[in-house]
Amino acid sequence: MEEPDPELQADADERESAPDFDALTDPQNLVRGERTRDDFFDAVLGLDSPATVGDIADLAGHGVDAAREYLDWFERMGIVTQVTESPATYERNDGYLRWRRVQQLQTQYTVDELLSALETERAADEEFAVTFGVDSPSDISITEYASATDQPVADAWEELSSWQTTRRRIDLLERALMADSGTSTDERTAV
Amino acid sequence: MTERSDDTWGRDDSGAPVDFDRLETIADRLETNERFERVDSHPAFAPNRVVCVYESAFYPPTVETARVEYIWFKNGDFTIQYHEEHTAGTFDHRWDRHPSDHNAREHIHPGPDAPTPGIDTSHPEDWRDVLTAVLQEIEERQRAFWTE
Repeated sequence: MEEPDPELQADADERESAPDFDALTDPQNLVRGERTRDDFFDAVLGLDSPATVGDIADLAGHGVDAAREYLDWFERMGIVTQVTESPATYERNDGYLRWRRVQQLQTQYTVDELLSALETERAADEEFAVTFGVDSPSDISITEYASATDQPVADAWEELSSWQTTRRRIDLLERALMADSGTSTDERTAV
Repeated sequence: MTERSDDTWGRDDSGAPVDFDRLETIADRLETNERFERVDSHPAFAPNRVVCVYESAFYPPTVETARVEYIWFKNGDFTIQYHEEHTAGTFDHRWDRHPSDHNAREHIHPGPDAPTPGIDTSHPEDWRDVLTAVLQEIEERQRAFWTE
């Protein structure tokens, strides 16, 4: 990144009280969390396809024995699912992540707040459908839409991603508003 | 809750929703750090972005405020924006991974005014490495405010 313009830099007097950058937590440690558990949690949340115990140990930056132990625990918690036996492979359980988010919505917000948020998101969804002229964001190709509407691909991407996000929110809010949704997250499909 | 759900997006041509789980992890990790005056997630019920406002002590009085904003998507796309407000003007720098016709998927829009087109580049695969690189670059700039 470019250095600051000289006229923005601290003057001699100010430099006397320069901040102590060396005392700051190293960014590398900062983004990694403090515990081995965080490393393994990050590793499994980042999985897009089934991975072996060795792969997951590598991703987490720890040994295979630790990986086995954490995967065992995560499987009991429902965070990962074992896919094959020999070699043992695991994948992220997306149902768990959704369940966790729905639980948070139910704990942190009142039914009225969730209903009002849902109303807002549904109105946004309708507007997107009108704008794009289709029922679902998956019916749109970013590149084709950008070229047909004579706008930059990056703008089309931003708008379509917002629609995808709105859809995601609607799904989560509807689940949170269903009674007993903690045990019935699988009973509905995405809108 | 053990089903293989439809929650995985390839880097396809239809975009992907914001990754609320990843943003929550980012906010959790960064919010207790001494670099930041505050870390906000908007809106609270499912954040679209995480906004980290830097402590003013890292800048001379010529810089009024500085912040970095993170948005991450389910398919691995992201956009990270660094913004400074000066007594006279602004400074913007952006790190992007998303489709565009002005650049390769991975690119930056460099400061001072983050122009389009930007510069093609490649970012690390692991989101934590992306964040580390961004935080380090910002720190280098902050240090440069205090050197002659």
